Amino acid sequence: MQRITNYLKSKPWINIASISLLVILVMGGVVVGRAAAARAAGPAPVQASPIHPTFPLLDDQGENVLDSGGAVSTMNTCGACHDTDFIEGHSFHAKAGLDDFNAPGEAPNSRPWDLSPGIFGKWTPFFYRYLSPESDERLDLGTASWIMSLGERHVGGGPAVYSRDGERLDQIEVRPGDPETQVLDMETGEVVPWDWQESGVVEMNCFLCHTSEPNNEARVEALKQGSFKWANTATLLDSGIVQSISDRYVWSPGAFDDDGNLRSEYVKIQDPQNENCGLCHGLVHDDLSGPLTVVGCSPQRFRTVTTGQIISSQRLSDTGMNLANKDELSRTWDIHAERLLDCTDCHFSLNDPVYFREDESTQPEHLSFDPRRLELGEYLYQPLHQFARGESAQSTVAPGLKDTMRRCESCHTIESSHEWLPYQERHIKALSCETCHIPQMYSNALKQQDWTVLTLDSEPSGQCRGVLGDVQSTAALVVGFEPVWLPRMNVDGQEEIAPFNMVSSWFWVSENPERPVRLIDLEAAWFDENDYHADILRLFDQDGDGELGREELVIDSAEKETLIAGRLEDLGLENPHIKGEIQPYSINHTVTTGEWVIKDCQVCHSDTSRVTQPFLLAAYMPGGVMPEFVADSNTVFNGDLYTEESGELFYQPSTEEQGLYVLGLDNSIWADRLGGFAFLGVLLGIAIHGGVRVIDSMRKPRPKPEVKSVYMYGVYERLWHWLQTVVIVALLATGLIIHKPDIFGIFSFRYVVLVHNVLAAILLVNAVLALFYHVTSGEIRQFIPRPRGFFDQAITQATYYLRGVFRRERHPFEKKPQKKLNPLQQITYFGILNVLLPLQGLTGILIWGAQRWPRIVSGLGGLPFLGTIHSLSAWLFAAFIVLHVYLTTTGSTPLADIKAMIMGWEEIEVHEPEEEEASL
Amino acid sequence: MKDFKYIWVVGLFFTLALIIVPIVIFIPGDEVSAEDPWDSVPVHAPHTDHSDLMQGVYETGSDVTRACLECHEDAAWQIMQTVHWTWESEPYEIEGRDEPVTIGKKTSLNNFCIGIQSNWPGCTSCHAGYGWEDADFDFSNAENVDCLVCHDNSGLYVKGNAGYPVEGVDLEAVAQGVGAPNRDNCGSCHFVGGGGNGVKHGDLDAHLSHPPESVDVHMGRHDFLCIDCHQATDHVIRGRSISVSLDFENQAYCTDCHAEDLHEDERLNAHVSAVACQTCHIPEGAVKDPTKMLWDWSAAGQDIEEDEHTYLKIKGAFVYESDFTPEYYWYAGIRDRYLLGDTIDPSISTNMNPPDGDIGNPDALIFPFKVHRAKQPYDTVYNYLLQPKTVGEGGYWTEFDWEQALQLGSEVVGMEFSGEYDFADTEMYWPISHMVAPAGRALNCADCHAEGGRLDWLALGYDGDPIEWGNRFQEGLVSE
Repeated sequence: MQRITNYLKSKPWINIASISLLVILVMGGVVVGRAAAARAAGPAPVQASPIHPTFPLLDDQGENVLDSGGAVSTMNTCGACHDTDFIEGHSFHAKAGLDDFNAPGEAPNSRPWDLSPGIFGKWTPFFYRYLSPESDERLDLGTASWIMSLGERHVGGGPAVYSRDGERLDQIEVRPGDPETQVLDMETGEVVPWDWQESGVVEMNCFLCHTSEPNNEARVEALKQGSFKWANTATLLDSGIVQSISDRYVWSPGAFDDDGNLRSEYVKIQDPQNENCGLCHGLVHDDLSGPLTVVGCSPQRFRTVTTGQIISSQRLSDTGMNLANKDELSRTWDIHAERLLDCTDCHFSLNDPVYFREDESTQPEHLSFDPRRLELGEYLYQPLHQFARGESAQSTVAPGLKDTMRRCESCHTIESSHEWLPYQERHIKALSCETCHIPQMYSNALKQQDWTVLTLDSEPSGQCRGVLGDVQSTAALVVGFEPVWLPRMNVDGQEEIAPFNMVSSWFWVSENPERPVRLIDLEAAWFDENDYHADILRLFDQDGDGELGREELVIDSAEKETLIAGRLEDLGLENPHIKGEIQPYSINHTVTTGEWVIKDCQVCHSDTSRVTQPFLLAAYMPGGVMPEFVADSNTVFNGDLYTEESGELFYQPSTEEQGLYVLGLDNSIWADRLGGFAFLGVLLGIAIHGGVRVIDSMRKPRPKPEVKSVYMYGVYERLWHWLQTVVIVALLATGLIIHKPDIFGIFSFRYVVLVHNVLAAILLVNAVLALFYHVTSGEIRQFIPRPRGFFDQAITQATYYLRGVFRRERHPFEKKPQKKLNPLQQITYFGILNVLLPLQGLTGILIWGAQRWPRIVSGLGGLPFLGTIHSLSAWLFAAFIVLHVYLTTTGSTPLADIKAMIMGWEEIEVHEPEEEEASL
Repeated sequence: MKDFKYIWVVGLFFTLALIIVPIVIFIPGDEVSAEDPWDSVPVHAPHTDHSDLMQGVYETGSDVTRACLECHEDAAWQIMQTVHWTWESEPYEIEGRDEPVTIGKKTSLNNFCIGIQSNWPGCTSCHAGYGWEDADFDFSNAENVDCLVCHDNSGLYVKGNAGYPVEGVDLEAVAQGVGAPNRDNCGSCHFVGGGGNGVKHGDLDAHLSHPPESVDVHMGRHDFLCIDCHQATDHVIRGRSISVSLDFENQAYCTDCHAEDLHEDERLNAHVSAVACQTCHIPEGAVKDPTKMLWDWSAAGQDIEEDEHTYLKIKGAFVYESDFTPEYYWYAGIRDRYLLGDTIDPSISTNMNPPDGDIGNPDALIFPFKVHRAKQPYDTVYNYLLQPKTVGEGGYWTEFDWEQALQLGSEVVGMEFSGEYDFADTEMYWPISHMVAPAGRALNCADCHAEGGRLDWLALGYDGDPIEWGNRFQEGLVSE
């Protein structure tokens, strides 16, 4: 040891070197350690949008929020690069009907009290509160209270910033009776002014759709509290950018860099994802690991509660819901969600250069694709927030934009995948894709809402469809429901069947022109302090427990109606009465594929067809009031509204009214009756006639007449005859199966239709060839009755059949190869071959061609007429065949004629020459 | 013609032909139905009742074997050619190694109980023979073959140390109750590999004895026996395990019965060129009973509370998992196998049986794996993994002395032990092919392609999600 220290002391440079080395090593260790720690801490948070630049958050004065501490203004913040005025000004999400505002009832097809086609102004029983028009004596919702209640479903901007006259809300004066500056205090019933300066306005909220985790609960809470200008700031809560401290919003300096811009890791700007859209529109479940659970008829997700649609790629069998037959439900909620499409893939921004396509009507014929479009940068500066939309029944806002979105045909080619479907074009024309591809809803949906009564929470009494048991409990069995099929009038004028849910609502209206009774008035009528009014309890409480349960809360007697109406009148309301309304809701999502789609013909082509399946609208009708369909949907209501004994209200669509003729369902009863009658009549007739002949011949055996063998029928004649026989019999058989698919369910409807068509084609060819033969060979002469003496001869022949046969008389006319047909035969075959057969064939061809030549077919009466004729002719053919076969037994021997038609040679009775003269 | 007596026959035929031919031509037939997978499933030979045939006094297992061989003369000889007997593969040429190598339980290390050498009596209780107690086992003696372990249908047969039947087994009853191997026969060893139920494979455990269809659709819904897929001709059993085989010769595949493009959906069929059947159809491994995912030998020897699934003094600490999500890698075969004596880099995890495959190999498919990670002893001077003696005298399981155990073990295998040891990280890859879920529970698009999905595209070699970027052929990632 000593030697080492001596050595070190003798070489000072070694000391310096070793100390330096040590220092370097230590520093290196620190650096490495830091790096290791950094690695251990995990990678830096990935910016959601790698190319979006950082930016400062500005308030409505244009100042950085860090300096002013104020609420963020999306218009100013995002407006630094994007044209926010343009965006807000061109968006029906923001405008929500403000642009089409009118006086109550002015818009066509609207209710007498509706003010616009959008959620700002169009009343819906769902929310019930009524946005008051100007100078409304009974103020319900002022603009400010509209924002507080319905604003949660509104993105901001539009009516949340501007008045109906176009001024900024925070710049208009308070005028008495003006709903824009005053609100109804629900507690006191007083109309109080609203201080827009203090509340601020709600600018269009970019963060709601364009950030990855917007805090919608905080936003809704801010709106409900009336602190409108903070709503957009609240959306950023819990993202690290802003915090809520003692009910105040405080910006976190740590989220900003030294220049006052947001740090890049906090810039999480993105295209709207399904979850963003789902915040307002409907339930979206994208979480791969967590099972989906839905409890109750939850009204927070509007589209889900009105239709039962849920957008999720999860299999039904993997959800956390108590679905009926859940183990077998291996399908996903929605095939497009499963295949990872986004809402914006179909509901794109209309000037998005990726999706933009020129409308067919303006596109010149020589172009199939026009590549000229907005540049990406231009688009990002002025993205049109008018989104492509469909043709839903319930949404009337921005009608000019209906059907701008991708429909199924934009992406799918139907022909190759539907080769198995006969009459493809006809099906596709009559049915929308959704009809067969959304056969069943698996979640529950609203069925009826009864605002004629109130629960103690000031809620209506309502009922859900598709769920058994207490809907609020997770143990309730969710059975789902089959949507009703109604005709929908598309934007292009075509009418198609599409699936819907229908919600029936009842509510009190009063005054003239009508308007719904305000909630506050309903509360005053129903409640007394915190409980129901004593009169009401007395009348409604049937089991005497002092409470009104769901079953008791029904106006099912005139007495109850009068009581409530009376109490409303006492409040000063004029002519309060109950009104009922039925609103259809389109179903376009929760599409399925494969084995879950309707492929069985008999679902529609049978007596229990789904096309005319009745749909339960309501379990009862409050006040016995029959509801009316809303007038502004694109659905056509030409079916039957009726009640059962139980009081349930049903709607049954009608094929006849829709102009549809569904094979197997819409049979003309009178054609069947008439034809059946004819058939049975013939059967009876020959039973009697033949019976008498048989008995007669048993009693007195008939002496065999003298016969000679004559070659009566050539090979071709026989072939033509028998081919026709077999084909016609087969046509009748297959036709019967098509006519009554329920009775003959064992056969595959699809195959029978195809076989029927093939047989008809064979018959046609056979008939044409036979006609050619008969004309060119001259044989046709035999079929043409000679006019002179026709009637006499016909009567003679008839008399023979009715009397002569029994008297064993000879045939009045000798059958010769040159003259095979007696007059009766001539006239019958004339009718069969020249009238009935062509008629049958023609109607058949037109039925088949209903998809090829729709205008010709409908011009000739359409399927209802053609089908009836076709059915009737078929019956007559059947009757003819019976008669014909029977009459062949009237030859020299009972089997002589049939043998002749098979072998060609006939044993003819020998006629005396005198009798021969009588024939010609 | 006029006088032809049988003109009506001709007429009938002609008429019917004129009708039937057009119908057949114009009616579209159903799509050609896919080959029926049942056509490829073997028909079981009828069972022969051995109660009258095997009457006798059997003292030892070999007594039974002798009796079997009286009729089944070739059976033992056939077994002796197979790996169930030899526990050693044929020699392989491996890239990167100068000489051909053999692998197998006989000599290879794994990262479970590590290796059988020096531990034979304990490990060879699963040998298809009797008496492999030490290195001098006579592999040529046909009477050492154990017929009963595979053919006992009575359920009364249990093997113990060195493969001998345990005390109390009624050999006569067992011998009379023989038949074709059922799931319990194979499972008596393969379900409990690694020292307990479901420890090793991740897709084989005692639940497969009588599984519901939700656990395995073949064995559950259709009551498949192991031998229905792992068919045997002359006792050569189909199947290859990544741990003891280096090739795919005589491998059992899904496509032995199922057509590759059997999905009705075209989009699903398009996946077949990059994704193995197992990937989508086995969404989770170890569906009911947990499997061992981590084995830390370095923690062994402590006197703390023991629990089969977390800690045992003789073995160390473990982590078990059930319903685990497999890890996904490209797989076209085995690239290499760790052999005794190979040096390791103790600072990184040693992959003992790396699956061969990458995105560029057109034959490679994305496969689900159970990856078992362990810490096992290695020589810090020579930098290779060591074979410890665990069973028997001086073994770790009695003495709890690593140095002694490693010394004894190294002597037996003929390797130098420096005396200095530590524990290195190792991993082994076990492809999952059992516990196939019913078709309705297969993975769907979102499971891989949605955000948070199972596949790490960049790690697999893609530029990004193939839905957006195109598949690997379109992207030009595949080398021809």
